[in-house]
Amino acid sequence: MEPLIDVNCSSTECTSLSPSAPIWQDILAQAMTGELLAAMNYTSLSEICDDPAEAADALEHSQCERGHAAAFAAEGRKISVEVSNNVDARHWKRLREAFLRCITERDFIGCLIVQEIMLESFAVASYARVGRVGPGSLGQTFARIAAEEGEHVDHAMSILRAERALDPQRFDDKVYRLHLDVMTTLAQMLAKECKDGHCEVCHASCVKPSLFEVSLSAAELRGASLQQYLKTLDMLGIPGEVTLSWVAQLPV
Amino acid sequence: MGGSIAGVAKRAPASEVDFALIGHQESWRAAADVLAVLRGPGRTPLPDDEIQDILPWIPPRAVCHVDIVSVTGAKARGLYIDSFIPPGRLEAANVHENIARVRAAAACAINAGAKIVSLGGFSSILIEGNFDLLPNKNDLLSKNLDLHSTKFDQLPKKLDRLPEKNETVFTTGNTLTVGFIVQGIQKMCARESRNLSKSTLLVVGATGDVGSGCARCLAPAVRRVLLSARNPDRLRRLAAELQADGIQVEIATDLQRFSVEADVVICAASLPSPSLLLDRVAPHAIVCDAGYPKNLSPSAKMLGAKIFFGGLGQITGGMRFAPDFHGILNRHPFPDVVHGCLLEGMALALEGRFESFSQGRGFISRGRVEEMLAIAARHGIYLAPLYNADGPIEDETSSPDGMDLSMSAGPTMGVGRFPSCP
Repeated sequence: MEPLIDVNCSSTECTSLSPSAPIWQDILAQAMTGELLAAMNYTSLSEICDDPAEAADALEHSQCERGHAAAFAAEGRKISVEVSNNVDARHWKRLREAFLRCITERDFIGCLIVQEIMLESFAVASYARVGRVGPGSLGQTFARIAAEEGEHVDHAMSILRAERALDPQRFDDKVYRLHLDVMTTLAQMLAKECKDGHCEVCHASCVKPSLFEVSLSAAELRGASLQQYLKTLDMLGIPGEVTLSWVAQLPV
Repeated sequence: MGGSIAGVAKRAPASEVDFALIGHQESWRAAADVLAVLRGPGRTPLPDDEIQDILPWIPPRAVCHVDIVSVTGAKARGLYIDSFIPPGRLEAANVHENIARVRAAAACAINAGAKIVSLGGFSSILIEGNFDLLPNKNDLLSKNLDLHSTKFDQLPKKLDRLPEKNETVFTTGNTLTVGFIVQGIQKMCARESRNLSKSTLLVVGATGDVGSGCARCLAPAVRRVLLSARNPDRLRRLAAELQADGIQVEIATDLQRFSVEADVVICAASLPSPSLLLDRVAPHAIVCDAGYPKNLSPSAKMLGAKIFFGGLGQITGGMRFAPDFHGILNRHPFPDVVHGCLLEGMALALEGRFESFSQGRGFISRGRVEEMLAIAARHGIYLAPLYNADGPIEDETSSPDGMDLSMSAGPTMGVGRFPSCP
């Protein structure tokens, strides 16, 4: 496995005096884990790219995601919390495995669908919501990274649209297969309550019930993420009535 | 729709869309039923709290295909597009968000290539009188005002008018709604052996497009007209219009002031929920609740009143949903019953008349209603059998146009015809 960025992940101690600091600590930990996972995914993607330009692009994205992870770690330090990460946590690990299955099949388009359509929809929407309520530079960092992730999606969109134009039915079948795998896991992550036990990223008990203390809610983050996902699928040209039933069938 | 890849594979190829119907769910129960169909029979229905959390985030989009057949054999293909306005957010405080939702739904219809679009429920109320709020192809192309850039908390300050030759036209559908309300009143009068010409008609929500249309159509046929609405200036203007035709009219913003005097009542107010209390209505009054959502509060005590839900029609040539939303999107005790506003777009599509038949507020005349009813009837679209919250008032075997009034002391009229002045 490629090295992760140089952040101290050994301690999850919170020394901040702010009562909301432990909540931000967990939010930052989830975001940082997601960014590191994305960095790993892009690095893996670079290894299956036939076109050197595409490989360079993927490595550049990987570096960008590492930068995002570092930015989240830095925001933690500003509020005196150590931001941990755990790409082997139950849900994140399954998301990584789904991506690696596409890598094994050397399925470049599948990789883009998982990373850019599914995972980035979640990142763009949830970071944007956090960016609205996060205090000071923490909020600004989330908002900035949400915008940058949005640009990643735009970049992939033209490739995916062109691919869909070749054979819409085949493309939609592929998206649906990956949706069942990846979005089911994301839906479980985004559920209002973690029914299957600890997520292995939050430093203590689940952060979701406390989100209201920082003007967020698990329901809002889930809703915004699913909305972003539906809109992204619309932009690909997949019929709205089809994607609506996909999303309606997700676990809650 | 099935939960398998086959569900995607079996999707019908893209085809021409003659009409689109824009609507929203009247209640959380109705929204839950729609989501239950989308989830499929193998999955546990979503709990109510989850539905209320999720629904407001769903962007407006097509929910199903609707195929209809005329009694002439003509066919039309359509889409039902839900704006996903949450049932609990119809109040004025959410008007900007809701207009943005209707705009996004309209963008879906335009992008699907629909030739005519009917605006159901609050969709037409929000746009009523201001069709400039709807997007057109130029908006979508030059201003990028499509589904994806429309934010629900923002509205463009200034929009272009719909160009004359836009490929997609919009109709509020209110003309056919008015036609079915009027026919329903007449049918109910006949059933109850009432003489409409001796009645006092009260229209609640009289200055709205539907309310004023009903007043214009029925005023010449009744003894006296009472108009109630919130805006006194609009009330005075409508009263003056009717009085110019020699009709006896009174107006009030306070409904309770004269509701007790009315023995025929049409409730056509734009209420976000069924909250109208008509406790002081005349004994045995005939009351038509034509609201969407319904106007009358379930707790309203109207002992002896004959209540029915108005503005509904039935398409007798056939209607098919894909996926199958029968009884879900049209929650009525009779088959193939649809709100008049939506049926107007269907009838015009079957007729091949892709025009904005109903636009703006206050332009519905008796002549236009008669014309619309005639178009609908040509394609087997008639007044639906009457029913109310307790169930059917009449059985399904009533005459298809609901106009078998020969035993009635009230006025007799054919399909698409109104009674003359008493």
